[in-house]
Amino acid sequence: MHEIRVGFEDILKKQLELAGKNYELLSTHGVKAFNVMGAIGSGKTTVILRLAEALRRRGLRAGAVAGDVAGDDDYRRFRQAGLPAANINTGDDCHLDAHRVHHILEELPLDEIDILFIENVGNLVCPADFPLGTEMDIVVISVTEGGDMVRKHPKIFAQTDVMVINKVDLAEVVGVDPQRLVADYRTVNPHGIAILTDAKIGRGIEELLSALGI
Amino acid sequence: MHEYSLALSLLESLRARLAEDPVRGRVKKVHLRQGELLVLSREALREAWSLVTEGTELAGSELAIETVPVRVRCLACGYGGDAKYLAAEGWHVRVPVLSCPRCDARVEIVEGRDLAVVALTVEERVETG
Repeated sequence: MHEIRVGFEDILKKQLELAGKNYELLSTHGVKAFNVMGAIGSGKTTVILRLAEALRRRGLRAGAVAGDVAGDDDYRRFRQAGLPAANINTGDDCHLDAHRVHHILEELPLDEIDILFIENVGNLVCPADFPLGTEMDIVVISVTEGGDMVRKHPKIFAQTDVMVINKVDLAEVVGVDPQRLVADYRTVNPHGIAILTDAKIGRGIEELLSALGI
Repeated sequence: MHEYSLALSLLESLRARLAEDPVRGRVKKVHLRQGELLVLSREALREAWSLVTEGTELAGSELAIETVPVRVRCLACGYGGDAKYLAAEGWHVRVPVLSCPRCDARVEIVEGRDLAVVALTVEERVETG
């Protein structure tokens, strides 16, 4: 038996190249996009809806992509709020990828959008491995999922630019200290920005916009 | 959860390569490098590999997977090299921290998300006649 060295070829390179193409396409149309990842039911859609309202007040137009395993509930909420939106059903996949996003970008009126929120599939494991070609990664969790979320999924938090802790109004009821989540986040990601929100009433949304550099 | 699709991409790229540049003999082992940040179940990948290679020239080959540490680059001080890791107790996995080991500024990941074939172990056929 003998060993043959093979030229290094990253099989994930295609994804990276596609993500680069998405970024270029978005830039050509003057769109800044954000990858919104996070736990199931943490309030990703509500956070995006509130961000869109805040952007409208500033004269900026938001758009949204709803990524889910099945259904179009989030998509319909975006449309109801008057946002240009598109829906991606991944079938069995637990994450969005650059290829799927590329197709959906062709369906969106990019010239009518300044800021695009791409809502990823609710999952704290896989989405971090698939770059989409966005400006920044956001991860949304809420206090109702417990105080250990960062410790249980350190990799995604270590790589994400902004962490949103939503439903802070319920912190006391569920007995979770949001500051502990913030401290854990600082440990895994000293340069990340943590924002506390109660998206239902729009609390923390202006701070979040500043964290996104808008 | 995406091990199956990774196994398929792996098979596709390796077969394309073998078609271009054939090896003499049977591939016994496929040596892979896996970036430390890539979330991957090795067990699931091995299982997926044995399924997707069935009926191909790579059937029966094994995956030998080596983890490659994250490498980072600092835009502030120019540092390039290994990442810093979580030092605190109670974190049960190795988590690279994206902060410069030299000046604490934010760093970029240069390496550590990839999955690549680096070598093949081939059992040579003994030519007779």
